[in-house]
Amino acid sequence: MATNVAGRRYRTWYAMLLRLYPRPFRERFGEEMAQTFHDLCREQEDAKRGLHGLALWIFFETSVGIVRENTIHMSQLGNTILRVALGALVALMVPLVASRVVKGWNWNAGSFVFVYVLFFATGMVYALIARKMNVWSYKAGVGVALVAGFALGWSNMVHVADSENPANLVYYSVLALGAVGAWLARLEARGLARTLFAMAATLALIAVMLPSGAPPYLARNMAIGHGVFVALLTASGLLFRHASLAGLK
Amino acid sequence: MAKKSAAHAPLTPAVLHILLALSTGERHGYAIMKQVQVDSQGKATMGPGTLYGSMGRMMEAGLIRESDKRVDPEMDDERRIYYELTGAGRAALDAELQRYRNVVAVAKGRLAHGH
Repeated sequence: MATNVAGRRYRTWYAMLLRLYPRPFRERFGEEMAQTFHDLCREQEDAKRGLHGLALWIFFETSVGIVRENTIHMSQLGNTILRVALGALVALMVPLVASRVVKGWNWNAGSFVFVYVLFFATGMVYALIARKMNVWSYKAGVGVALVAGFALGWSNMVHVADSENPANLVYYSVLALGAVGAWLARLEARGLARTLFAMAATLALIAVMLPSGAPPYLARNMAIGHGVFVALLTASGLLFRHASLAGLK
Repeated sequence: MAKKSAAHAPLTPAVLHILLALSTGERHGYAIMKQVQVDSQGKATMGPGTLYGSMGRMMEAGLIRESDKRVDPEMDDERRIYYELTGAGRAALDAELQRYRNVVAVAKGRLAHGH
């Protein structure tokens, strides 16, 4: 009886200790480690042996593992930040070169800094989300969703600035829907698939509800633009759906 | 690239024991720990910290993979994740065992000649 009480207490403490692992590691192995500790305790109890020595050794051994995994995680995070920072710098070369070549492209230094921060933030979001699931379709889905979201937000920002029509802000509801959906889905593939399909449907609905009367060439361009974004969001949703099914196998 | 180099690099004792434990078939984490104890005749004891840390890196290197999630009939009714060797994992184990055989052959030759 006393051993059972001690066993329960050690299992609770061990579950608390596991929280010190880096989050990706904990999400991947935390449950299994707790299960294995439970098995070891039960084996000890069945053999009518005390738990204190085993618990002390496992707690020490796991603590060493926690230090090791956190060190590796921090070093990997540092490398990721460096890679994304360099990638954003390379991407910044496009508008930088274009501003020298294209007539009327007059960005000031602040605009370049703003764009660099946007590139960097998008890259970091990709790096942090994509490693949640080691399936190619999940990573591709994150990439396509971010590219579509970035392009939609960017083109809308430019359009609002040019037209000074606040009605265009309705497009940000698609991005807001994506952010809320991703949060509610806890970045799980199945929920993200539904979120991306909902974003595509919302964007299609906005396109249908747009007031008619634009010149034919403008109406055609707008239809193509909306079609491309709806296709990208749907493609991303399908990729997440594929990842969700792959995760079930 | 990582998978190729992992198949030929010398292995740490923990990785070698895990590969050896999985060489006869798929096992879950606790069963791997028990098999390591049996294989080493009780000399190597591996805790969850070392086991799962090593397995995480081995999965990244493509040496092992998850095979299934099911109940172990010899234990309880909890579902457990089973792991199995990949082709790269088996190649890494074979390469390591061949390295050991070479060392033993050299040592035997030296001892036979009294050096």
